[in-house]
Amino acid sequence: MRLPPLDIFEPNTKKDALSILDRLAKKTKIIGGGTELTILLKLGLLTPAHLMSLKAIRSLDGIRTTKKEVIIGCSTTLREIGSSSLINLRFKSVAQAARLVAAPPVQNMATIGGNILQDTRCIYRNQSDLFRSGIKRCYKTGGNMCHAAKGARRCFSVYQGDMAPSLISFNSKAKLERKGSHRLVALADLFSGRGEAPFLMQENEMLTEIIIPLPGGRYGSSYEKLRIRKGLDYPLVSVAACFSEKEGGRSDKIRIVIGAAGSGPKIVSEELSFAQSERIPVDDMSRIVEIAASTAEIVDNLSVPAMYRRKMVKVLAKRALEDSFRAMKENN
Amino acid sequence: MKKVMITLTVNDDEYTVATLPNRTLLEVLRDDLNLTGTKEGCGEGICGACTVLLDGLPARSCLLIITEAVGRKITTIEGLSKDGKLDLAQEAFIENHAIQCGFCSSGMILTAYSLLKENPSPTEEDIRFAISGNICRCTGYAKIVEAIKTLSAERR
Repeated sequence: MRLPPLDIFEPNTKKDALSILDRLAKKTKIIGGGTELTILLKLGLLTPAHLMSLKAIRSLDGIRTTKKEVIIGCSTTLREIGSSSLINLRFKSVAQAARLVAAPPVQNMATIGGNILQDTRCIYRNQSDLFRSGIKRCYKTGGNMCHAAKGARRCFSVYQGDMAPSLISFNSKAKLERKGSHRLVALADLFSGRGEAPFLMQENEMLTEIIIPLPGGRYGSSYEKLRIRKGLDYPLVSVAACFSEKEGGRSDKIRIVIGAAGSGPKIVSEELSFAQSERIPVDDMSRIVEIAASTAEIVDNLSVPAMYRRKMVKVLAKRALEDSFRAMKENN
Repeated sequence: MKKVMITLTVNDDEYTVATLPNRTLLEVLRDDLNLTGTKEGCGEGICGACTVLLDGLPARSCLLIITEAVGRKITTIEGLSKDGKLDLAQEAFIENHAIQCGFCSSGMILTAYSLLKENPSPTEEDIRFAISGNICRCTGYAKIVEAIKTLSAERR
């Protein structure tokens, strides 16, 4: 498979990059590590006239901290995140997610910005030109039907990013910049939930930083991922959980974010009152797991049957809950 | 689309190449520099046959657009042997019969080489994690893991 014709921009500063986007956003795609984009280009799913590389802009790379938050530049590789002692200590599920993306050679190249902004996927779309030429156009490819959910009125392609669920479970924010201005949004609000256009971003905007607020009090987190080929696959379902104790232990909160179960991450947030217990009460566990399962929006459009993925939402939610609860108890 | 003139550092040698920008590092290594030890398998970043070391770390050359490789230190399988003598990693794969058809071997050996540079005493779990991005359809991985274990013991 060969790449389509294109030209490359290599700006040296963020200001130059934003100027290029301002002029040519419609024809330009940003390349981070390229592990996702290059495949889409080879399959002919994207045909930009230009690519803009961020590799020369050093200010977009690295992890830094302030008193209240940890800031990760969009060009930071998943390897850096997965092996960062700070991220492993404070945001365990984020480090777990980074280490579970594909395999180490991909983690050495892929960036957090690229991982978050990866397009939604579907077994009927992410195929060769030849395959796609044999089927009708769907909502994602400019048609008006869905191959996976017959009679559906919208696209059900799946968001399979590993990083977003764990980052959202910590209430992370995204910094979006364009020429002359910037804005901060909750990372969860970056997702439209629409498979046809999964991100709520302007064409000339660039995701430059991920900001994770440092939680107060005791907390614990966990990330669980279902895949058939360990070391290679995108998540077929994933669950990130963050369990936090509030108000000196009088109440607590669980935030579960389900990945690969819809066109964007699905969020379940529950106030609870068992942080003082040694174990999660069975009734509470069943209730939360059922809510998680009913929040997932799964159809038959990945490599394993929808029924299996639906069942695994419950299994992974239970595991992530138990693990994050345990981590909270150990986090003094 | 115009050709661009780039300089690559491959196996400690500098190569200046005029190339169209819509090519991958893998294509340039094989077609322009004649370094055919790096193999093209799936071409979409799954199999690991195209693995090279970028600044010492395993990476997919089939996913790296050529201009992104500029300024990086690239090591291919040809760069491991010195003065006609194979590297210990290559020797260990041969001695332990960890090569059958050989198509995955360049990537697998480079991954092992990089792992042992970073962690001279890896556990079996470390080894299996490190090579999880390199698919072998012949050996069943047992001999490969054995070769890397032997190598780590030798280096100790």
